[in-house]
Amino acid sequence: MNLIALVVALPLLGAFLLPVGARSVGWVGRLLGPALLLLTSLVVIVLWRDSGGVPSHIELGGFQPPLGITFYLDQLALVFALATSLLALLLWPHAAWRDARVAALMLLMVSAASGMALSGDLFNLYVFYELVSVASFGLVAAPKTGAALAATLRYVIISGMGTVMALTGIALIYTQTGTLNLAHLTLLSATTLDNTLGLTAFVLILLGIGVKAELFPVNIWVPEVYATASQRVSALLAGLISKLAIIVIIRLLVLLFPQPEALTLLLVIGALGVLLGELAAWHAKDFERMLAFSSIGQLGLVLMAFSIPGQAGLFAGLAVAMHHLIVKPALFVLAERWSGGFAGLAGAGWKSPWAAGLFILFALSLIGVPPLPGFWAKLMTLLGLLGQDNWIYWTGAGIILLATVFEANYLFRFGLGLFKAGSESRSAKVPVHDAGSLGPSLILGAVLLIATVMITPVGNWLAGVADQLADRELYVTTVLGAGRELP
Amino acid sequence: MSLLDALLLTALGTLIATLATVRTRWVGYVASLGLGLQLLVLFLLAPLGYGAPAVTSGLAWDLFGQPLVLRYDAMSWYFALITLGAGLVSSVYATGAWSDHYRAAGRSPGWLQFALALNVFTMLLLLASGDFLSLFIAWELVSWASFLLMALAAGPALKWSLRYITYATAGAMSMLAALGIVFHLTGSLNYADFMAAVDQWSVGLITLLTVLFGAGFAVKMGILPFHLWQAGAYAETPGPGMAFLGAISSRMGLYGMMLVWVQLIGLIRLIEVHIPLTFLSLRDVLMWIAAFTIILPTYTALKQNDARRLLAWHGIGQGGYMLMGILSASALGSAGGILHIFNYATNQAVLLLAVFAVVYRTGTADLNKLGGLFTRMPLTFVAMLVGIIGLAGIPPMNGFVSKWMVYRSLLSEGMPLLFVASVIGTLGTILSVYKLIHNTFLGQLRLEHEPVQEAPWSMVIPMMVLALIIFLTGFMPGIVLDWVAAVQAAVGLPVLPHTLGGVADAHGGLDMIMLVLVLFAGFGVSALLFYATGRSEPVHQLDNYAGGHFLSADVRYHYSDHFYAGLMHRIGHWYRGSFLWFESVVASLASFLAQWSATFYRLMQPALPMLAMAVIVLWMVS
Repeated sequence: MNLIALVVALPLLGAFLLPVGARSVGWVGRLLGPALLLLTSLVVIVLWRDSGGVPSHIELGGFQPPLGITFYLDQLALVFALATSLLALLLWPHAAWRDARVAALMLLMVSAASGMALSGDLFNLYVFYELVSVASFGLVAAPKTGAALAATLRYVIISGMGTVMALTGIALIYTQTGTLNLAHLTLLSATTLDNTLGLTAFVLILLGIGVKAELFPVNIWVPEVYATASQRVSALLAGLISKLAIIVIIRLLVLLFPQPEALTLLLVIGALGVLLGELAAWHAKDFERMLAFSSIGQLGLVLMAFSIPGQAGLFAGLAVAMHHLIVKPALFVLAERWSGGFAGLAGAGWKSPWAAGLFILFALSLIGVPPLPGFWAKLMTLLGLLGQDNWIYWTGAGIILLATVFEANYLFRFGLGLFKAGSESRSAKVPVHDAGSLGPSLILGAVLLIATVMITPVGNWLAGVADQLADRELYVTTVLGAGRELP
Repeated sequence: MSLLDALLLTALGTLIATLATVRTRWVGYVASLGLGLQLLVLFLLAPLGYGAPAVTSGLAWDLFGQPLVLRYDAMSWYFALITLGAGLVSSVYATGAWSDHYRAAGRSPGWLQFALALNVFTMLLLLASGDFLSLFIAWELVSWASFLLMALAAGPALKWSLRYITYATAGAMSMLAALGIVFHLTGSLNYADFMAAVDQWSVGLITLLTVLFGAGFAVKMGILPFHLWQAGAYAETPGPGMAFLGAISSRMGLYGMMLVWVQLIGLIRLIEVHIPLTFLSLRDVLMWIAAFTIILPTYTALKQNDARRLLAWHGIGQGGYMLMGILSASALGSAGGILHIFNYATNQAVLLLAVFAVVYRTGTADLNKLGGLFTRMPLTFVAMLVGIIGLAGIPPMNGFVSKWMVYRSLLSEGMPLLFVASVIGTLGTILSVYKLIHNTFLGQLRLEHEPVQEAPWSMVIPMMVLALIIFLTGFMPGIVLDWVAAVQAAVGLPVLPHTLGGVADAHGGLDMIMLVLVLFAGFGVSALLFYATGRSEPVHQLDNYAGGHFLSADVRYHYSDHFYAGLMHRIGHWYRGSFLWFESVVASLASFLAQWSATFYRLMQPALPMLAMAVIVLWMVS
């Protein structure tokens, strides 16, 4: 079980060794990263197979909880650890391998992201979150253009504010309970956190970690960063890191904050994200910004799904999140060749029909056209929202339905624009996709299609993951041992 | 495995076979053969059409605990028959000479055939849906399949298909909301549970569900005010594709309305819902919407100068007759509405195929650039003549029967105002179809059209078959009325007593056999008089004179533009484009909000709103 530490440690080690190694031996820079990521993916797969779906935990350094560093390994943590390695492998910046710093930052981000998925106490969670932030600052600024630097500065400022808020929230929790171990906190939460102070702590953590999760209103950095950073970095941030941040928030919500107000807050913030994000995406005039705003909207949708009380909400939220995890990176990879304004892309679909076909596939799934997985995720969310006898939830459902109309319009305005007859001189300049630039999208498209066919087993498995996530008793007994009952 | 499975699997097989041969020259034959096979299987299911109990598919499966049911009853069979008929005719038409022409223009006939087969398959699936979830899934598939067919032509079609899919998504989302509410209220998506629960629901709830479901279906039907996409999107679809869409695709909306409004909710409940501050029931309001759907688009059609658009606008108007007939809830009226689906499909298909035969030979559908083709393309002329007689509702063609039934029921049910409205609509139809045939086939032949020949056989035969069906089902409407009666029984409407010749009614029925015989006797007498007494001398079509002067062929005297100048002088100022105006208002509003949203993400001081938000939220929770 202790093997799991490698998932965090190996990429971290690689991140420090890579710049040194690459200087002396050329191929190190090219191969070390992918090799490590392959290794960590294998580690997670082996652990997952051995666990048989039963959660477990490890204490690093041998200190018993609640004192030591704890990793909690349930299916959700493992699937995100695996997704981190695999997605980073898929989106590895081969083109930029000469710059060992980019590769090193990628590895650093993978290490910290895995740590975020696995961490079982608030302190480490915060540390890993900060590491992710620092790594992402470097990656985002890597193109070194003026626009990229300006966007990064904005991102750094907002991230910094977010960090302060999250830290304040954690400090509040610590003053109330005297512990940061999540299992221990779960035991104490009913008596110490079920009050206004607890809710305040939640709000601060939500807005703090929400910076990475692209939550309204702390997502002001998103469009500029995604438009100026390299598309693969945007793909990682929008696809993976944002989901990790949401998962962390939801885990804290489930374990520590039973207040119904917290759910209503998620709903309202999510709905505003959906509305503003999709409207702004409709207004966008270039591919990356459109994807960035669409990603804001989709994360709002994830949040709204999680705001549904009970296991149904966790299930719907996970479904929407996993779906977006597959779709958005694939779309950003397509933007590598198709970056820039819509007008310049007229006729690009005739020259790269496979890329256009993939775009249409992902767009259909984002809109929620049956039988693609996006439809089931959206359906579960809507049935859940409309299943509440509460006008706020019904309004939320209405907002999702309205936003979907905008979504269909702007995605297909773009998709059909690819088949417009452009002027000869212009369309000669549109880059053509090749196997290399299509590879990641093709793989993700295949995953999406397999999920479409296997929708029932995938759904059942996801429901199991949601059950584990909802089970507070299980978390406490797994980490602290049997006999520590929830009050 | 039931015959229904066989039907759906044949349709799926056709789809796969078409896809496999999409780049080859025989794709058209493959698709036509597949559609023919499907029609054959449907004939094996024919007992359904005469009221046999519903057939359930063995393919049903569970998704997340929700059973998906596929089944065919009399209504499904009736719609499937029209769907497959229209599909087969369009597919045959698109094979052979037309496809060579299409390929020469740089387009792919293979993808057109594939899109047709896909449309047919998804529609057959929709007709099979036996619960709300499969209904919604199949509905979305139908929407996107017709989107594919509309977008195929690229060019201006892209703009129109985007407009369609935006409307269609809005409609689908409205249906999804209804579906969610139904699930919330009944805990399931079965039709049976819905029908069991509907009795206890309040008036407001029934109105809400009627409107939410109805809006989704109305978009597809092009019912006012959701009709703006239809004429343009259909007109830009490649020929046979447009014939298919125009004939039956929109009627899927009517299928949905009959299913949800008539069969599941029940018209009687819509009649019971009283609209506050008026003397109208919900059913009356819907009937008036249908009446306006007849009148406004029909008179918009009158102003079109493109044959495709003229017919496409008509299609919207004719949908109003069907809806009005069905909503009248009487045996005669609803039978008329249901019968009109079949009749209109045959009329519209033959008209569009004739128009595209003219386009094939002359290269234009512009009504100001045609004329006098009667002698050049006599068979196509006959096909169009039969079509317009049917569409205008004049004996002896089938369109007369269904329209007569709708009128008659409006009068006997005591709805004279609606009767007047529908007659005004028919007047518009007669005027505009006359414009169509006059500007295309009558009058002066253009010099450049002198070498034009009759359309190739692969296109003429489908037209002739349709023309024959139109006449036969007008002569003996009982053939179709048998199926219509079974549909009425299946959805819980009163059943119309009918004979082979028409309607059996003590207070004045309709016997088309008698009527047609008398009519033809009249024709015979006039022909006798003409040939026995009159003397005629055939001259060349370009050899004309007027007022004693010879008219040389290069002088244009064919009156086509601004066709009904006198009428337009009276009613021209009533065309306001109000719906277009309203659509642009909605778009502007959305655009304003979108701009505002985008501004939020361009704020120069990003940290300030963040802080403000934190303060507000914290203040609210504490």
